[in-house]
Amino acid sequence: MTDLTKQTLAPGRAFISDDLLQVFYRLLAALLICFSLAILSDSFLTLGNILNVLRQASLLFFIASGLTLVVLTAGLDLSVGANVALSACLAGTVIHQTGSPALGVLAALATGGVIGLLNGLMVTALRIPSFIATYGMLWVLNGLTYWYMAGEIIHGFPPGFRQIGSGYLFGLPTPVYLLLVFLAIGTIFAQRTIWGQEIYAIGANPVAARLSGIPLTRRLLLVYAVSGTMAGLASIIFLARLNSAEADIGESLTLPAIAAVLIGGTSLFGGVGTVFGTFIGALILTLVLNGMNLLSVNASWQPLVTGFIVIVAVWLDMKTRRRGQ
Amino acid sequence: MSVRVSICASLAILASGAMATSAFADGETIAVFTKNQTNPYFQTVRVGADAAAKALNAKTLQYIPTKPDSIPEQLSQIEDVVVKKPDAIVFIPVDYKAMVPGVEKINAANIPVVNITDRSAGGKFVSFVGADDYSLGLETARYLLKTLGGKGNIVIIEGVKGSLTSVDRVRGFNDALKENPGAKLLASQPGNYQRLQALQVMENLIQSYPQIDGVLAANDAMAVGAIEALEGANRKAQVIGINGTKEAVDAIKSGKLLASGDYNGFLQGCVGTIIAIRSLRKEPVIPEIVLKPTVITKANYQPYETPVESRACPSWDEAAKLGGK
Repeated sequence: MTDLTKQTLAPGRAFISDDLLQVFYRLLAALLICFSLAILSDSFLTLGNILNVLRQASLLFFIASGLTLVVLTAGLDLSVGANVALSACLAGTVIHQTGSPALGVLAALATGGVIGLLNGLMVTALRIPSFIATYGMLWVLNGLTYWYMAGEIIHGFPPGFRQIGSGYLFGLPTPVYLLLVFLAIGTIFAQRTIWGQEIYAIGANPVAARLSGIPLTRRLLLVYAVSGTMAGLASIIFLARLNSAEADIGESLTLPAIAAVLIGGTSLFGGVGTVFGTFIGALILTLVLNGMNLLSVNASWQPLVTGFIVIVAVWLDMKTRRRGQ
Repeated sequence: MSVRVSICASLAILASGAMATSAFADGETIAVFTKNQTNPYFQTVRVGADAAAKALNAKTLQYIPTKPDSIPEQLSQIEDVVVKKPDAIVFIPVDYKAMVPGVEKINAANIPVVNITDRSAGGKFVSFVGADDYSLGLETARYLLKTLGGKGNIVIIEGVKGSLTSVDRVRGFNDALKENPGAKLLASQPGNYQRLQALQVMENLIQSYPQIDGVLAANDAMAVGAIEALEGANRKAQVIGINGTKEAVDAIKSGKLLASGDYNGFLQGCVGTIIAIRSLRKEPVIPEIVLKPTVITKANYQPYETPVESRACPSWDEAAKLGGK
């Protein structure tokens, strides 16, 4: 049994070096964007703006990093945005009712995690394709959130809690610390632990993975639960940063999160990609918006520019990948 | 009562997708079409319609797309309503152009229909009741510029590009700026009516402009998002929004927000429903009521603190004076 496991994991190691190359290309693309912006705008290459971009990228990264693990198993989680909305609204209520930010944080993480676990159960126990299961979950969550909020807005949270989103620690915004911590945890988990490697193996070849004794169901449950919990974490950052929650905050979050994962080089077919790549993907999307604001690009052109850059980024990815093979 | 109504409404949505809920017994049935369950504005419209129907001993049937602003869903709800044949319809098109064929179906079924909020590009209506986005934008921006003494550096945060409301409000902002040659427009950037996007746009603009004196946001959620960004950067600027949401009234009271243009959804719901019922009872109606813009400020916010649920609809004589043509 152990021999078999090693055999399936062997190609996994080959993927990592290929992945490293991909991450390098991504980093280059991000630097190229930075370089162009630095020439075009005086205010781009300032410490203030770099910290600003990192803080903005963190929210997207939290959602996208959990999602990366799901995509690595050749699955998809379309419910992340709706998850953020419900988790934020419930956590907001808990903080208002109890006055305790700690309980609010727990509520957000628990809500997110339970939603993720339910997604995982639909995918494993009911064998519903993840795209459909999580799409259904998106609607269920939207329905629950709309009903619960009934058009209301929850706003006004304690200053201590708000530090999580808008505070600074030794000159760095608090969300940037969280970003670095979860970037490290995600990278180590995916690349350096057996469970992480098993997730790559499941995505690369689920049949071979099962035959080699990888507990498919448990790993998939874990992956969806992590994706949900990260959405819960993102909802806390959202609450702390914006000081309010309403039912429709999730809709504009899902597609950018998926885009960040794909621009970051994770393949929708599973088995290929890195959490670090996703960080670069989130950074590129944030840089594009930041640059357009700094350069005062006309509002009409902004979606067009974003779309163009997403297409070019993925096209470059496929081109470099082909060369790699 | 209205809370219970909206709970019933939402449960019905969860259960069946398209929904209808009857609120009050006896009398005529008025079908009320709104755009979504997420924007607090449409909740105030529904509360206003319910209040007017109750006062006149009629009942309402609320039609709300489960997917916010969904054109196909509102079209299928129209098909449903043409079969069910309520006595009259109060109608907000999710899209002023795309819903014209839907309005024509209602006309073909000979159901009298009153258009409120967004003026439909075609079809026959008993009457139109709405607020004028242009003068709302103009008056609110004028108030801000007057407060700044007619000068200063100004930023505009636009709504969804291409939406009628955003185009007209931003046109009003720009015309107010033209009246004040001392004021300088630094940037006009899109926030898509989303709080998070407005926050990030403002954070980015703060990086490139050391002095921002005034912010004109096309809705309240974006205005409050911009305020969070300014506070996070220890900057001070006067900010205005539009819609007159409860959150905005709280922010005006605490001095964070300078003013909010009142779109007055409650009155629109009231007056639209009153006109629908009057036309059924063969009483005279007014073909067009465009509500005069009200700017909510620190001087006049008190009446807006009353929750819409406990406000009363105006009498017909009062309603006719609100801006009839």
